[in-house]
Amino acid sequence: MDTKFSNKPVNLSLWRGVAIVSGVFAILICAMVIVNYLQINKVDPVNTEVINTLVERLNENPNDAQLREQIREMDLLVRKAFFTNQWEVRTGAYLLLLSIIVMIIAMQVMKMGKKNLPSVDEDYQQNIIQYQKNARKWVSIGGSVLIVVTLILAFVTHKDLGTRFTDAAKVAKAETVASEVKATPEAEQEAAKPVVAEKKDVEKLEELKASEPEVKKETKAEVIEKPVETKAVASIKKYKGEYPTKEMMANFPSFRGPGGNGIGYQKNVPTEWDGVSGKNIKWKVETALHAYNSPVVWGDKLFLSGADANQKQVYCYDKNSGKLLWTADVKDIAGSSAAPEVTPDTGHAAASVSTDGKSVFAIFSNGDLIALDMKGKQVWSKNLGVPDNHYGHSSSLVVFEDKLIVQYDHKKSGKVMALSTKTGDQIWSTDRKVKVSWASPVIVKNGGRVEVILAADPCVASYDAQTGEELWKLDCITGEVGPSVAYANGIVFALNEYASLVAIKTGAQPEVLWEAYDYLSDVPSPIATDKYLFVVTSYGLIACYDALSGELYWEHEFDNGFYASPILVDDKIYLLDRAGSMHIFKADKEFVSVATSNLGEKSDSTPAFADGHIYIRAGKNLYCIGK
Amino acid sequence: MEKKGKKDRRDFINTCFRFAAGASLVGVTGVLAHKTVSGNTLWQIDTTKCTQCGRCATSCVVTPSAVKCIHVYDMCGYCDLCGGYLRPNVKNITTGAENQLCPTGAIKRKYIEDPFFEYEIIEDLCIGCGKCVKGCGAFGNGSLQLQVSHDLCVNCNQCAIARDCPSDAFSRVPADEPYKFSGFKKEKKG
Amino acid sequence: MSEILKYLTQTWNLKKLVTLLSLFVLMMTSGLPLLAQQQRFPKPEFESGYTQPVTSMPEARADFFAWFDVVILILALSLITWLILKKRSRRGVLAVSVFSILYFGFFREGCICSVGSLQNVTLALFQPEYSIPLSALAFFVIPLVYTLFFGRTFCAGVCPLGAIQDVLLLRPVTMKTWLQKVLGLIPYIYLGLSVLYASTATDFIICRYDPFVGIYRFDATFFMFSIGAIFLVLSAFVARPYCRFFCPYGVLLNWMSRFSKHHLTITPNKCIQCRLCEDSCPLGAINKPVPVKVMEDRSSATKRFIKLSLIIPVLMILGGWTLSNFHENLAKVNSKVRLANELMLFKADSMLPSVEIEAFKSAGTPVEELYSEAAVIVEQFYIGSWVLGGFLGLVFGLTLSGLSVFKYREDYTPDKAECVSCARCLKYCPVEK
Repeated sequence: MDTKFSNKPVNLSLWRGVAIVSGVFAILICAMVIVNYLQINKVDPVNTEVINTLVERLNENPNDAQLREQIREMDLLVRKAFFTNQWEVRTGAYLLLLSIIVMIIAMQVMKMGKKNLPSVDEDYQQNIIQYQKNARKWVSIGGSVLIVVTLILAFVTHKDLGTRFTDAAKVAKAETVASEVKATPEAEQEAAKPVVAEKKDVEKLEELKASEPEVKKETKAEVIEKPVETKAVASIKKYKGEYPTKEMMANFPSFRGPGGNGIGYQKNVPTEWDGVSGKNIKWKVETALHAYNSPVVWGDKLFLSGADANQKQVYCYDKNSGKLLWTADVKDIAGSSAAPEVTPDTGHAAASVSTDGKSVFAIFSNGDLIALDMKGKQVWSKNLGVPDNHYGHSSSLVVFEDKLIVQYDHKKSGKVMALSTKTGDQIWSTDRKVKVSWASPVIVKNGGRVEVILAADPCVASYDAQTGEELWKLDCITGEVGPSVAYANGIVFALNEYASLVAIKTGAQPEVLWEAYDYLSDVPSPIATDKYLFVVTSYGLIACYDALSGELYWEHEFDNGFYASPILVDDKIYLLDRAGSMHIFKADKEFVSVATSNLGEKSDSTPAFADGHIYIRAGKNLYCIGK
Repeated sequence: MEKKGKKDRRDFINTCFRFAAGASLVGVTGVLAHKTVSGNTLWQIDTTKCTQCGRCATSCVVTPSAVKCIHVYDMCGYCDLCGGYLRPNVKNITTGAENQLCPTGAIKRKYIEDPFFEYEIIEDLCIGCGKCVKGCGAFGNGSLQLQVSHDLCVNCNQCAIARDCPSDAFSRVPADEPYKFSGFKKEKKG
Repeated sequence: MSEILKYLTQTWNLKKLVTLLSLFVLMMTSGLPLLAQQQRFPKPEFESGYTQPVTSMPEARADFFAWFDVVILILALSLITWLILKKRSRRGVLAVSVFSILYFGFFREGCICSVGSLQNVTLALFQPEYSIPLSALAFFVIPLVYTLFFGRTFCAGVCPLGAIQDVLLLRPVTMKTWLQKVLGLIPYIYLGLSVLYASTATDFIICRYDPFVGIYRFDATFFMFSIGAIFLVLSAFVARPYCRFFCPYGVLLNWMSRFSKHHLTITPNKCIQCRLCEDSCPLGAINKPVPVKVMEDRSSATKRFIKLSLIIPVLMILGGWTLSNFHENLAKVNSKVRLANELMLFKADSMLPSVEIEAFKSAGTPVEELYSEAAVIVEQFYIGSWVLGGFLGLVFGLTLSGLSVFKYREDYTPDKAECVSCARCLKYCPVEK
């Protein structure tokens, strides 16, 4: 029996000393580790605001060597602090553990050393009845408290989440179905009335969304039935006319031709000329102010604009003789401010003018927008506000019926709007959540509607040209989008350098038909036909894809790069390289060169085609090619 | 005698209960027997779901996080202008701290031949914040990907990052396929 | 003739070789650019003889170790059972405890543990897509089987959570027995909640609030360290606070142990009622003799017992109803429900989207899908909270009626349910074998 309780003498004071020392040590270490731990959370290298703001400042003044040095030092300091701190916490934890183990051992030894032999308390009698009574009482109290607290919390926070989720799911589903119906172009052709009906539906849906959990069973049933109803009545006011119109097709009213889709509807276009010898050059005139915009043609008149930081002008030439008919100075526009800083390769008038045969419209780098009649007299003018665009505004204008379509995506806001060609008043304006884009709008008739198609980081989107309503949108493009889209046969092609080339099947639920990454463009726009897609790159490569499958048919490399966009005319593609040579080849499955004609002057502007003539802006000169 | 009977009864009830408990244990085991995997399960990030929110760096129970950026060299374009290495809008392509995207300087840039550079992740310094992954994915091939580094992962029963992951990208997978890299860019549609 | 034949076969072989080779080359040349074309920036063809490094993919701990853990568990359990029941040695228990703290605790970093495996089992039972690792199932079942035969020897020193509290115990304060009884109901609530959350694939709350895993791992959030430290300090004065008042696995062990065949006895022979062991148990798990003179009047006790038994169904319904009213709050722990709720309250024009909402939007899952999934989960929680409330009502009811039952006892015996077989009481018994 004596073996059970150890009688070995224990040096109590020694162990007590050990316990106290290790205990104090443990407390000290513990405090240090906690302090260090809190510090780690403070020096978070991922979110060092200071360094980030310094880097931003450096971006503004890239040559500030002192600032750069400061960033490097700070960065090193933060990283060092972070990793040292981690090391300290880890080491501290080991020391803490060690000291606690020592303390525990010491205390346990002390406890064993204190010979507390078992004893019996004679007077003590356990009252089991009292215990059970107490226990019953407290178990009941505990249970009741739990129930009461839970119930109070439950009733205070009661939200009927389940029903709300079910309703929300139904509303969301109804919405998607409704939007699908809304956008189906094949819907019945009833005229204006259904639009009103549809509007009502949308309102109803919104009401439904707003109405909170008390959605009664009947209303729920209604929600489910709604889409069916909508399908029956909803239809889109079908656009009965043609776009581009015959008149537009006979002319070359905007950048990249009628509607801006890169197609010229002309015949008998010359293929051979020589700028040096003057062969087939009908006339050549000098323009007053240089710009990169392209000429447009209507009737006998040719329009273009020019600008520098101080001056903005619109010119009108006789397209047959090259005679300057008039020059309109753009000034004294209400709300206008000084020209913003732009890069020299964009200039103050990168956007081409556009005309509808009654007026000609021009836009400049500071947001000045002017409409002039065919005689050069101002019809209206306005300032859209200086666009926050680090290269300079370059999206060209294009006209649909009585609406001038303006893409105005800049850093502060993005929107596309339609202004009345007669008064300049805003007819519609749709906000876009996009970054700056340099691409021009393309207007095409797609099914029963006329769509304005725009490309900008992050999406390619389409708007109803009549109402501005967003018809579809697909996130598929990134970066600083320069090239405009190309459209053919219900498919939209968009691309950008460092992003991708996407072929989008349009519709309410647009889908990516195919993607490619090999040949991408940062300036020139592509051209599409029903069968083929032609991609032109700024480094001199042309590629032809199957429009439907994305199969690469051919690629061809030229010596010079391209900034001008290609134009499809008479089944041939006219493509002007930066050195001034026009490469003419067949829009076909194989690369067949038709001719290469040299202008003898560098050019980055897209040519215009009218009446069997080609008009090219090159440097300060304007050329007319043809007999 | 009466006492003994009482004791026997108690024993009998006890035995019955013991068998019932044993049977229920066997039952649970039996039900689960066909749902077992022999090996362990591991946590894995589905890189196609990952949004590089940065929580891998903060939520992991291991410091620094067991989630690391792993470089899939096969997918790398060895670009000079690397979106994973350099901050956006850098003026000079140098290794200066003001140009580096990585907050801990865990990416080593090495010159190989004319326009090409190799990027190596120093695992000890990587904290799994995913900044470089985002940068590379937005601009480049997406060869930098966040994955659980299984030599560091303590394989918690319930991964703390999985709980916090906003895109539900973490899942338990059988141990024989511990890593999953999303393929070439083409997979990432729409 | 034979010469020619030989020549022919040779040339044929050569031809075949050439075709194979050219095929191979063709495959190489056509296959590689195809691969490269898919990339935005194709991998360069290096001219300087650069060899590409291997993508680092560190191996996980081999599967073999999971089995090694199971073997260690079985060995440790067998050893400690033998030490407790045959050797009756507290010192042996202590040694095994230290071993488990070192192995299952610091070496295995507290993960795989039987307490947590409870949730894996639940998840596997309720979620068809989850397959449980065999080792997790083994860690769940083996201690229960041992307990069914030998009492809670697992708790005594194999469980790293119990062991670390046990070795820290210095000066146990005697707790009021009724308080112990009331606090002893918390594990049932914890068990119920952890089963509810595991079965809905929401979370493993036992692992999330495991107080010691952070200490074993040397790494945790401040919050986890704090609860760990609180429990450690507490366990110097209150024996095994986590085991007795929180551990959900302890509930299962408690049930198994009640019916165990060979439970530890305080005396190796016949009890002589010397009362020496009366205060020896730090857990207060020794049943004292109940002499007839302190007994209540039999008929009134029986009446109360019947009354209390009859209200059990009422308690179950009350519990179920109460908790079913509370089910939304329980459901909000689920990330999907939380996201759906957030999305419902989210207004795009006036609020900044949270990381979750942004991630959800970028994933492109239809909103309706999320809402309907969330609705299903909320429904599951509704049913689950009825079941959980009913279970808790049952537990409270049984506890109440159990508190009206008397058992005649003459000897000092360990309370089979509460006793963790730590073997502290053994040395107090003067009876020899």
